[in-house]
Amino acid sequence: MSSWTAKLREAGVSALPPEKLLPDSQPAYMTSAIYLFGALTIGALVTIIASGSILALKGPTWWHVQSIGHFFNSIHLWSVELFFFFMVVHLWGKFWMAAWRGGRARVWMTGAVTFLVAVPCAFTGYISQQNFDSQWIATQGKDGMNSLGVGSFFNVLNFGQMYSYHILLLPLVVVGLVSLHVLLVRRHGIVPPLPFSDAATAAPKP
Amino acid sequence: MGALLNLNHPAHYISWHFFQMSVPNAVVIVLMLVVFCAALYLRAPGARKQRGPK
Repeated sequence: MSSWTAKLREAGVSALPPEKLLPDSQPAYMTSAIYLFGALTIGALVTIIASGSILALKGPTWWHVQSIGHFFNSIHLWSVELFFFFMVVHLWGKFWMAAWRGGRARVWMTGAVTFLVAVPCAFTGYISQQNFDSQWIATQGKDGMNSLGVGSFFNVLNFGQMYSYHILLLPLVVVGLVSLHVLLVRRHGIVPPLPFSDAATAAPKP
Repeated sequence: MGALLNLNHPAHYISWHFFQMSVPNAVVIVLMLVVFCAALYLRAPGARKQRGPK
């Protein structure tokens, strides 16, 4: 095998054979509703990207002047609210079932970093609103960034820079990390529930 | 929501010593806790049909 394409294909199929990539059944413990929240988070992310794409096509001031623009802005805002709501419940569920067990450390880490990147992704949206609220948040954020010594790299008073971060750079990172997170889940499988402790399963003392 | 509640005013705040949080944020956190606890006991919709190997 000489070509890099063949090597890449072999490595991909070896790491994620089709029956693992797109399984047609899942373990019985996945009947619990707590396992829904990862998929709900992805559903909210798809809505964010779709509504955000429409807002990006029409420009940042569209939602101020047309009711249909206001409608899509509201879809965008509330899908972000749901995204974080579902992601936090997903995070709590995975934390309390110690989801990094069984060689799943990278699954846990990609999820945690996605959460950390999603926060500035949302914050840059708040300062892209083009209203008094965004001006207030930007002036407060400026002091925060300067106190960290990164004000010359991330100028929150520069609308163009923050808008680029919000609609391109940070969403690319979030979508990339979520894709990697899902592929790692497919590779390692859904984490099983924690086993009962010996104390919990032991027969009661007479 | 705006028709049911008058949201056209600054949020009320909960203050306790150094702790300060707006009521809307506190409501969202309580809702997340309720949904989390409920999800531990509820079955996923359609779970019986999709049950796979143990």
